Amino acid sequence: MTTRRTPMVVLGAVIGLVAIGSFHASPAALAMTTTAPAPTSRSAPTPTKQSTTTPSAPTTSSTPAAPSAVRSQTGSTVNYNYGMLAVSVTVQGKTITNISVPSLNDGGNSYSQSLDSMSIPILTKEAMAAQSAHIQSVSGASYTSAGFIQSLQSALTALGI
Amino acid sequence: MTTSILDPTTWTMRREEEVMGTVVVLDLYGDASVTSDELSPSLHAAIHELHEADRIFSTYDPASALSRVRAGTLELANAPRVISDVFELCRDARELSDGWFNHWGLAGGVDPTGYVKGWAAQRALEQLRAGPARAAMVNAAGDLVCFGVPHPGELFRVGIADPFRTDSLVALADLRAALATSGTYERGAHLIDPFTGRTDARLASASVSGPDLGMCDALATALCVAGEGMLATIHSLAGYEAFIVGLDGTRRWTTGFALAGVTDYDLTAAG
Repeated sequence: MTTRRTPMVVLGAVIGLVAIGSFHASPAALAMTTTAPAPTSRSAPTPTKQSTTTPSAPTTSSTPAAPSAVRSQTGSTVNYNYGMLAVSVTVQGKTITNISVPSLNDGGNSYSQSLDSMSIPILTKEAMAAQSAHIQSVSGASYTSAGFIQSLQSALTALGI
Repeated sequence: MTTSILDPTTWTMRREEEVMGTVVVLDLYGDASVTSDELSPSLHAAIHELHEADRIFSTYDPASALSRVRAGTLELANAPRVISDVFELCRDARELSDGWFNHWGLAGGVDPTGYVKGWAAQRALEQLRAGPARAAMVNAAGDLVCFGVPHPGELFRVGIADPFRTDSLVALADLRAALATSGTYERGAHLIDPFTGRTDARLASASVSGPDLGMCDALATALCVAGEGMLATIHSLAGYEAFIVGLDGTRRWTTGFALAGVTDYDLTAAG
């Protein structure tokens, strides 16, 4: 079942059409593939090789077993051009398990609010992906805030990570 | 500069530069024998490219050369040469995309900014390539370009953001040169159908890989608006490949796309 909603986001003179939906009835979940179908393929990509190994257990560069204590830390409050924010990070051992933005003062203008709603989830994703997926970067339509990185870094430093 | 425990022969360095309304991340990899002093000139040259592009092409700064060209107060012939160069490259992109990338078709007049971010990141990378770094990657707000490999025998591995879920990736890819992603979830998306003038897109996201990031950026924007019918067009361009996510979540890609995995990678479950 697919639902879709299309909030309109006005950024200055630019109107961004944002389509957000829920999907993922995909049987290809967690499947790895080594060959791709022709570009004109009418059907969804059908992986030819499937692995039941979940990518959440990378083995290529395992770190020494760290203390599994769950700790949280809120970073310093920083200016991110459109307001002030502070980033909170939760770690288990040395692995980031959650990132949130508990403190955000954007002055209530629509421009910064639209940035907040779209960019902060993406920033969170990038920060977590870099650590957990063993990838160097994420390609996506994103907005990266120096303030977000700065606050996150201060939280991680406070945690000794 | 940091030396990796896993690979002590390699140092890595990350520089985050606030420019062009975003933060551009430059990752450099080099032999442990290279000093930061030796590296500095190329890094500064790369960062200078980004700020020069910002200064000349900003549409937010009414005093920028591009703004004055748009306003008609500066003749193109008297403007910095790079503006003409970029317009020429945009014409190429328009032609190669069968008109789906059209920087003249936007409200507010000619606006090549959909091309400039990738173009500037590519120029920054070329400065790094000319320096002593063995490998580097530039990430301009999700548009990526690299040269070399981070560690011997290991390509740059990148994720493609899930356009529907904030906590997952839709695919992993090996990066050899450039990869740009355009999506309807994009901040201030310039996703305007040049044929109808409407803000519209036929895909949730479109990623294009290839040798040049400016062109990848333009083609990804065009593909997102044009829809999957354009996949064959991109595949026909030498060196360019694409990966798309449809509005219904369907994923398709061209045969040459360097896919390292299609995944519903739930980042919150990792670790």
